[in-house]
Amino acid sequence: MAGLLALFTAETDATERVGPSRGEMLYRQGVLPSGKPLRGEREQAVGVEGMAAACVTCHRRSGYGSSEGTVRIPPILGSLLFQPSGKHPLDTQPGAGYTPGRIAYTDETLARAIRHGLVPTGRTLGLVMPRYDLDDATMASLIEYLKGLSATVSPGVTDDTLHFATIITPDADPIARQGMLDVLQRFIEDKNDFRKGGARPLQRNVGFNYRVTRNWQLHVWQLTGPPESWEPQLWARLAKEPVFAVLSGLGGRNWAPVHHFCEQAALPCLFPNVDLPVVAEGDFYSVYFSKGVLLEAQLIAKDLAEQAQRWGVHRVVQVFRAGDIGEEAARTVTAAAAAAGLQSTSHVIQAEARADGRSLALQDVAADDAVVLWLRPNELAALPAEPVRAAAVFASGLMGGLENAPLPAPWRGAVRITYPADLPDGRAVRMHIPLAWFKVRNVPIVAERVQADTYLACGIVAEQLTGMLDRFEREVLLERFETMLNTRLFTGYYSRLGLAQGQRFASKGGYIARFAESQGARLVADGGYTVP
Amino acid sequence: MYAEMKHPVLLWLAGALLTVTAAVSWGDSASQHHLARGTLSSTSQYIVPAVQLIRDDGKLVSLPAEMNDGRPVVLNFIFTSCSSVCPLMSEVFAQFARKLGSDRDKVHLMSISIDPEQDTPARLREYAQKFEAGSEWQHYTGTVEASLAAQRAFAVYRGDKMSHTAVTLLRVAPGMPWLRLDGFVTPDELLEQYRQLLQEQGRTEHPRKSASLSLHDGDS
Repeated sequence: MAGLLALFTAETDATERVGPSRGEMLYRQGVLPSGKPLRGEREQAVGVEGMAAACVTCHRRSGYGSSEGTVRIPPILGSLLFQPSGKHPLDTQPGAGYTPGRIAYTDETLARAIRHGLVPTGRTLGLVMPRYDLDDATMASLIEYLKGLSATVSPGVTDDTLHFATIITPDADPIARQGMLDVLQRFIEDKNDFRKGGARPLQRNVGFNYRVTRNWQLHVWQLTGPPESWEPQLWARLAKEPVFAVLSGLGGRNWAPVHHFCEQAALPCLFPNVDLPVVAEGDFYSVYFSKGVLLEAQLIAKDLAEQAQRWGVHRVVQVFRAGDIGEEAARTVTAAAAAAGLQSTSHVIQAEARADGRSLALQDVAADDAVVLWLRPNELAALPAEPVRAAAVFASGLMGGLENAPLPAPWRGAVRITYPADLPDGRAVRMHIPLAWFKVRNVPIVAERVQADTYLACGIVAEQLTGMLDRFEREVLLERFETMLNTRLFTGYYSRLGLAQGQRFASKGGYIARFAESQGARLVADGGYTVP
Repeated sequence: MYAEMKHPVLLWLAGALLTVTAAVSWGDSASQHHLARGTLSSTSQYIVPAVQLIRDDGKLVSLPAEMNDGRPVVLNFIFTSCSSVCPLMSEVFAQFARKLGSDRDKVHLMSISIDPEQDTPARLREYAQKFEAGSEWQHYTGTVEASLAAQRAFAVYRGDKMSHTAVTLLRVAPGMPWLRLDGFVTPDELLEQYRQLLQEQGRTEHPRKSASLSLHDGDS
């Protein structure tokens, strides 16, 4: 009876709610209109169910398909399937989409392909493609969804211009803000200079262009006021200035409203400069270079788990300012410490308190403590002259200024700095390109990491857009990052970048380092490159 | 320590002896022939690299030691964010194990991640659970360098994880050649190949092979 009631409520919910269509539920989540998981059969009963059976798993959100090694997952856009080969722009990409001699599908032949794997040419679909025993109504809703898939051009794309926004929160560092904007504006000027004097589209005689070079136009979305007002501001800006994607950006203590907005607006948010990104598995539209301070926290947690016993550490003391990004990172370390059987305590600097000898006096630290400093440069500089006597001292590199962290001299020998990127010596060769570009383009270097990451973001986006024919789909751009980013050689601050379906943090490791000398910025790694 | 790590020359000699044995005993299967749907089968000697990997239970282990634990090995390379090829290969492993029934305890299924920076032991455990992996089946990660060394040693490295192809490798005992299946195999095909290998090994049991194997064992 309870089950029947549950079924009844579920059905009423489904009819009343204005949510994803039945076709979309099937395509993206592998859920049948009945609420049951979709099931697909393959030869020898190697079947799939639920999410594994959902079309999106292989054909992707865009419907453009994918390829893995020698296995090609063809595009399944209605606009392509219902035309014979050669009539669709994707047919010019023999790798991804080309199906030789495709006969245009009808609703009936498409249903037969989905149910039995038989296509109009008489060919049978490959082993990877499951067969789906869908009833007529479900099949119709799926085919309707396919017909609408990537059928309209994404907003922010006009005949001659691609519109981008960059989002800056009010608490972002003003110097880094100017540094980032300099890079963005100069990069875009360079790109647009190429079109001066007119660029003709590369055309084909079948009626579509396979590449059009467009102007890039940047809209700076500077947010104001408290975080709870940011999302309405962003929706208003988007309505006024439709953009294709958010390129780079700069955050301070809280990026969550921006992340949430981009997800809701289905707007790609590409490599913003934020040290506390949002980790939300399953979210699609935001891509980050790294997990920032959360990666630092994981590096510390791993080190503690492995070394605490050797060092004789019994307790972890974390120092952070209330409301700053270290607070969230400290939570990760606390949880890990508990799992490793260590006690932990926090030394919290009140949000408005001055960073001075009083607020930073760490009197209760004992010799068997590990201390973690989640402090900004001005706070590090205000540490008491005498370093704490502890079994280990860590400092967040991202918050403290990496190799330029202004630690008082007596602390330099004691502190180990987390470095969630490649160390300066390791990245020196890779950095030749951005540094030379800044020099020739007269971009003053005021915030090197932010500027190098911004330049890297621009390069990656430009590179992937170039391969997108004359069809700019937001989802396709993100899917291209997933497959292509791994092979990039020039990765700026990062040892390597890589994504795959569902991955949204491109660089996954870092170092724990020490200052090599009593003065200067030279760091040496304490252990190897670590992926926690 | 293991023969692979300590005595490469000895290993090579043992391997060379066994190659001869294998070439005779394997007969037709030593030359390439086609399975269903163009899946290619071949036999090869691979030198198992002396790398350390992290097993899905979080333990740091030696790849040769994991492979030489006394059970026949069935090996593939996967990554957990892979959407098409890997889940299919993993499902084949799962069904292969199911079809073995109580004999599943006698085989060692090994899946090595080709995206080790993403595939933490926790992620691998979650993935393994999806395929109901039992004690016969372990997943491995490690450093990028270690994963690459393993991929290169078994000639499955394709330049990038997105270019990977389906390969299944079987070996009945240390020192014996590997049966390599390029392309998709069905659970039944894998079972048949596995049983055939075991039978052939049974037939080729003779003093010389036992001698070189005990040399191996004594060294480990």
